[in-house]
Amino acid sequence: MKTGTSISGLGHITLIGLAVFGGVFTHRPVPPPEVANVTMISEQEFAALTRPVEGVPPTIVPPETVVEAPEVAPATEPETTPAPEPTAVPDPEPVPIPTPDPEPEAQPAPAPEPVQEPVTVPTPTPTPEVLPAPAPAPVPAPSVAEPQPSAPVSTPRPARRVASEIAPPPPPDAAPAPEPVAVAAPTPEPTPAPVETEPEAEPAAPEEATTEIVTEAETPSETAPAAPVVTAPVTSARPAPRPARPAQTAQPAVPAPEPPAPATPPRTAGSTSTASSDSVDAALREALESAARQPDAAPVVAAPSGPPLTAGEKEALRVSVQKCWNVGALSSEAMATTVVVAMAMNRDGTPDAATLRMISSSGGSDAAARQAYEAARRAIIRCGAAGFPLPAEKYGQWQNVEMSFDPSGMRLR
Amino acid sequence: MTRFRLIAAALALALLPFTTPLLAQNGPLRIDITEGVIEPLPFAVPDFISENAPGGEYAQRISRVVAADLAGTGLFREVPQEAFISQITAFTPSVDYASWKAVNAQALITGAVSATADGQLVVKFRVFDVFSDTQLGEGLQFQGTTNSWRRMAHKVADAVYSRITGEGGYFDSRVVFVSETGPKNDRRKRLAIMDYDGANIQYLTNSSSIVLAPRFSPAGERILYTSYETGFPQIYQLDVGSVSRVALPVPADSMTFAPRYAPDGQTVVFSASQGGNTDIYRLRPGGAPERLTNTPSIETGPSYAPDGSQIVFESDRSGTPQLYIMGANGGEPTRISFGAGRYGTPVWSPRGDLIAFTKQNAGRFHIGVMRTDGSEERLLTASFLDEGPTWAPNGRVLMFMRETQGAEGQSALYSVDISGRNLKKVPIDGAASDPAWSPLLK
Repeated sequence: MKTGTSISGLGHITLIGLAVFGGVFTHRPVPPPEVANVTMISEQEFAALTRPVEGVPPTIVPPETVVEAPEVAPATEPETTPAPEPTAVPDPEPVPIPTPDPEPEAQPAPAPEPVQEPVTVPTPTPTPEVLPAPAPAPVPAPSVAEPQPSAPVSTPRPARRVASEIAPPPPPDAAPAPEPVAVAAPTPEPTPAPVETEPEAEPAAPEEATTEIVTEAETPSETAPAAPVVTAPVTSARPAPRPARPAQTAQPAVPAPEPPAPATPPRTAGSTSTASSDSVDAALREALESAARQPDAAPVVAAPSGPPLTAGEKEALRVSVQKCWNVGALSSEAMATTVVVAMAMNRDGTPDAATLRMISSSGGSDAAARQAYEAARRAIIRCGAAGFPLPAEKYGQWQNVEMSFDPSGMRLR
Repeated sequence: MTRFRLIAAALALALLPFTTPLLAQNGPLRIDITEGVIEPLPFAVPDFISENAPGGEYAQRISRVVAADLAGTGLFREVPQEAFISQITAFTPSVDYASWKAVNAQALITGAVSATADGQLVVKFRVFDVFSDTQLGEGLQFQGTTNSWRRMAHKVADAVYSRITGEGGYFDSRVVFVSETGPKNDRRKRLAIMDYDGANIQYLTNSSSIVLAPRFSPAGERILYTSYETGFPQIYQLDVGSVSRVALPVPADSMTFAPRYAPDGQTVVFSASQGGNTDIYRLRPGGAPERLTNTPSIETGPSYAPDGSQIVFESDRSGTPQLYIMGANGGEPTRISFGAGRYGTPVWSPRGDLIAFTKQNAGRFHIGVMRTDGSEERLLTASFLDEGPTWAPNGRVLMFMRETQGAEGQSALYSVDISGRNLKKVPIDGAASDPAWSPLLK
C-alpha cells in the first residue's frame, strides 16, 4: 500500500511538475535576461552619468504643431465673435450715456470687420508664432538626443545628495552617544548635550521644508540642502553597493559618485564575484555604446530597472506635485473632472514637457477636461522645474509616470 | 513525511513561474493626486500698448480695469508691475516666457489700443499660459467707441476669465438696485443701475415713493419692480432704454409684489395678497392672472428654473417659512429645505444647479446655497442682517444686501463667491439694497 501510494504520488508529482515546467518554461527564458539588463542599465547610467553633457531637450515640437493647426482654424471663430458683439452692443445700452456708443459700433463695424479683422490681425500673428518660437530650437534636440540628455542630467543629482548626506547624518548619530556619557558623568552635563543635538536636527528640517515649498525653478541650489534629511537615508544605502562594482572595473568617470562608496562592504562583495562583474561591465559598455548610437535602445533597456518605489518615495512625489496643483481658478465643472496625465521623465527628475499629455478624463465635458488638464500641467511644470524627489537609481521605475488628478474631494472647501 | 515534502516541493516548483512576473514590474508609475491648493492664480497685465496718439489716453486705463476685474474675482492675483523684469513693447504673438516665469506670472495678458479722431476705439489682446510657453487661444479684438472704453475693458476681462477658468465671465454686466438716502425713519428710495463693479451709477426713478425689489428681464432690457406710489404695493414694468414704465394688469384691489420674469421674458410670476392670504400667480402676455398656489398660508418669492419647467418659492405652510419647488403650472409642491431656521428669497442659479436663499437662524442671517433637491446646503455668510441674493450671469458669484445694526445702521451691497470666499463690499456711495444682477450684456 505504502509503496504503491508513494510511487503513484511521486509519479503524479513528477507529471505535474513536468507539465507546469514545460508549459511555463517557454515563458521563463524571457524574465532572466530582463533582470540582468535592468541591473546593468542602472549601474551604467548611474556610474557614467556625466559623460555626454547636452542641454535639456524639451522638445515642444508635437504640441506646437498642434497649436498651429488650432490657431489657424480658430482664426475664423474670433472673426465671427467680434462681429456679433458690435451688433448686439446697441441693444443693452439704453438710457445711460453709453447708448450713443454702441450704435456707431454696430452700424459700421459688422460688414467691414469680419472680413478685415481676420485677414489683418489673426493671419499675421499665427505665422510669426509658429516660425520663431517653437519650431527651430526644440525640433533637432528631441529626436536624437533623448537618451543622452537623461544620462548627463542625473549625475548632478547624486552628487548633491551624497554630499549632503554625509554631513548631516553623523550629528544625530553622535547625539545619542553623549547621553550614555552623561549617565556616568554628573547630571548637569547631559542636559546641555541634548540641547546641542536638538538644535542641529531642527535646522535641518526647516531647510527641507523651505526648499520644498519654494520649489520654483529659481532655486536649484536650495534643493541640494533639502536632500539631506529626507532623501539621505534612501540614497545612501542603495547607491553605495552599485557604484562599487563599476569602480573595480575601473571607470574614470565614477570618482565623483563613488565617495559614498567608502562603505567597504560592497567592494568585498564585488571581489568575490570578480569574473561576473567583468562580464557585467563588458555588457554595460556595450549597452552604453549602443544606447548612445541608437535612441531606441535606451527605452528598451531602461523599462524595467531597480526595485519598485517605496510608498514613501511615491508619497514624496505626490506631495511635491500637489503643492503646486492650484485648483482655485477652476470652474465648478472642472472641479468635478478627473484627468489622467502621462509624461516621460528625464533622469534628473524633471518632466519632459513635450511628452505631457492627457490620457483620459471623466466627469466633465471636453472643455472642463481641458481646463483641468491645464491646471495639472501647470502643477507638473512648475513643481517639476527643479526636479521631483525621485531616487535616481530607480529611474526605470519612474521613467514614465501617469498622474491622476482628482479634485472632487476639494470641491466644498 | 517524505511524501508531504515531495508534494510541497512540487507545489513550490509549480508556483515558481508565477512569481517571476511580479518581480519584473513594467509600465508607467501611477500616482493619484487628490489634494491640491486653492489660491489665486498669479497673472500679469503690463500696460496695453497705444498704437497711436489718441489711443494713449485709454491704453493704461483699460489695462487697469482688466486687472481690477480679474483680481476682484478672488480667483486671480495680480503680479505688481514693479516686479516685472521684462516689458512688453510690441503686441506680438510671442513673449519672453522665461522673464515672466521668473516673476511667477502664470498668465500674461498683453494688449494694444488704438483710437481714431471720431471716437472709434479698437482694443486687441492676447492671453499667454506662461509656464506652458503657449498662447491661450487666439488673439481677439473689440471695436467700440471711446465713451464705452470701460465696457470694452470688461469684455477683454470676460474673455480672459473664460479662457483661464473655462466658464463664462460676468464683468460686462450691470446691477439694478435700490439706492437709499436719509436716516432709517425717513429713508428715500430710488431705483438705480450701475456697472457690476459699482461704476457709472444712474438713477431710473425719482424718490417720491418707495420702490422695492427690482428684477431684470432675461435679456436685460426691462425691469420689474414694486412701487408704493398708489399707497399700497403694485408691480410696474420699466423699459431701461426709454425709462418709461407701465403698471402690470393685475387686480387693483390686491397688493402685488415679489415679481420675477420667466425665462421667456414675457411671463411674470408674482405674489398677490387678497383678504389676508398671499398666493403665487402667473401672468402670461395677453392673459389674466392665473393662481398657481391655493392654500391659507403665505406663498411668495417665486423664481423660475432656467429651463422654465419649475418654480421655487417660499411658504410657511409647515409653520415656518421653508423652500418648496413646484411645476411651472402649479400643482403639489415639494419641500426642499429642512434645516433649522427660516428660509426665504430663493433664487434659481442661471446654471440651474443651485438655489440661493436667505436663512434666518439663531438670531443671525445667512446667505446660502443648496442643490435643487435641497441637499448640500452651504451657508456662505453670517451677519446681523443679510438678505436677497442675486446671481451673477455665470452662476459663480452672489450679490446681496447687508445691513449693519443700530440706528446708524446702513445697508450696503456685498458680493461673495459660491465657495464662500472673497466676500467684499461693492464700492457705492450711500446706502443700497435689493440688488438684481443683469444678464451678460450683448
